Amino acid sequence: MVLTFIDKTGASVLSALDTAGDFATLAGRTFVAIFKRPFDGKNLLNQFQAVGVHSLPVVILTSVAVSMVFAVQLAFGFRQFQAEGLAAQVEGLAIVRELGPVITGLMLSGRIGSAMAAELGTMQVTEQIDALECLATDPIHYLFVPRFLASIVVVPLLTVISIYVGFWGGYLILVGVEGQSAFVYSHEFYKLLAFRDLRIALYKALVFGMIIALVGCWKGYRTQGGAEGVGNAPTSSVVTSSLWILISDFFLTKLLLV
Amino acid sequence: MALIDVVNLSKAFGPKVVLSNVNLQVQEGESLVVLGGSGTGKTVLLRNIMGLLTPDAGHVAIEGKIIAQLKREELFKVRQSIGMCFQMAALFDSMTVFENVAFGLRRHLSISEEEVRSRVDECLSLVGMKGTDKLKPAELSGGMKRRVGFARAIALKPKILLFDEPTTGLDPVMTDVIGRVILDLKHELGVTTITITHDLKSAFEIADRIALLFRGECIACEPPDAFKVNPHPVIQQFLRGDADGPFLQDPPPPKRKTKEGQA
Repeated sequence: MVLTFIDKTGASVLSALDTAGDFATLAGRTFVAIFKRPFDGKNLLNQFQAVGVHSLPVVILTSVAVSMVFAVQLAFGFRQFQAEGLAAQVEGLAIVRELGPVITGLMLSGRIGSAMAAELGTMQVTEQIDALECLATDPIHYLFVPRFLASIVVVPLLTVISIYVGFWGGYLILVGVEGQSAFVYSHEFYKLLAFRDLRIALYKALVFGMIIALVGCWKGYRTQGGAEGVGNAPTSSVVTSSLWILISDFFLTKLLLV
Repeated sequence: MALIDVVNLSKAFGPKVVLSNVNLQVQEGESLVVLGGSGTGKTVLLRNIMGLLTPDAGHVAIEGKIIAQLKREELFKVRQSIGMCFQMAALFDSMTVFENVAFGLRRHLSISEEEVRSRVDECLSLVGMKGTDKLKPAELSGGMKRRVGFARAIALKPKILLFDEPTTGLDPVMTDVIGRVILDLKHELGVTTITITHDLKSAFEIADRIALLFRGECIACEPPDAFKVNPHPVIQQFLRGDADGPFLQDPPPPKRKTKEGQA
């Protein structure tokens, strides 16, 4: 009984270490492959379009929605203490430091991370990745690198857009509905913020971009078992990358706010 | 020295032994056909030759270079001299036929786009697929996909062509077409080929030698005429296409009596 338990625990630990090692190896190979030739500009541009341009609507809509809901909550909360003027300050702080990067990261893990996992997973089970190998092409260089580069550039850019849109979401509620002065809102929104806060947001977005691309590509590349495997890869990718986005957000915040 | 040298090759997946001490030598310009039942390790043999799998024991050498010992860059150099034709073609479905065939040319050769176009046209003509360059793989039939796969495999002018069950799932007419295309490629390009097939008709047309894999072992490797008269019961059963005999591990279901009362 005890031996069986130890046996099972040991097997689980070994399996987890094996998975972590596999991810680390593929991530390391991706970093190394960035500097390898040939450089495929067309492939990279396609990824910029898929990752960036096509993600704009979803990022804009979610940022507007979240910032509006947050503004409604803040206006209601601060009204209890007759401190409505603080709502714009807290809105600014929350959007730049947390909501902008995290909402963008989570939405993109659902939109592009899952798409990467599904695409590479389908390529894996239909032997297209083996075909790349047979055509003397490193799949890590050809498939991972453009997605990785596009992701680490686009996620910070979309985070900036999300922050900008978040400003106007808050404006709609606090100025349009709550009747605060537009001048005061614009002034108060940035009052508690420093340039460091935007830098922290961009660092976070960069890390989230790495997580989304690496996890999405890794889950797709390791797909096994036909249609069922291809179906599981995107789900697993979204769950894993969302989890790591939230975990890394905590540690990045602790680390960067010191 | 043989161009392809498979020495004591063994490969198992967990407890299942797929290849056991397989030895095969293929000389330059020779055409070897590998026959065998489903699950006897034919595709695993090709994947070991391409370096997509690592042997548990033994090795595969191409022009004296042991595949499993090569660095990745060296392996890619060797792979440029081998064209692999997959069972289901494995065309890149996000690309057109033209882009599929041009893929290797664009990545490995520093040639102009005009030269790429001319080479792609040449390859598509060789497999009878001229004029399909703008189509996507989803718009092609099974036989057409295989032929585009052949065109992609020959684009870099390889020394060796590997065909993994190129006729499986095709109708008899298309099977004959594919057999003729392989013969044409063999004669016009003078390449060394290894073909895995279940189709005996094209096997005897293509082959300089025929090998039969049985339960992970190579039980024969000889010219077609000698293979036909080999008295080994497994070979004779395979040639007859009969369910009764030593070929199957589990006994087949009994033959039902026909209306005329014959077994």
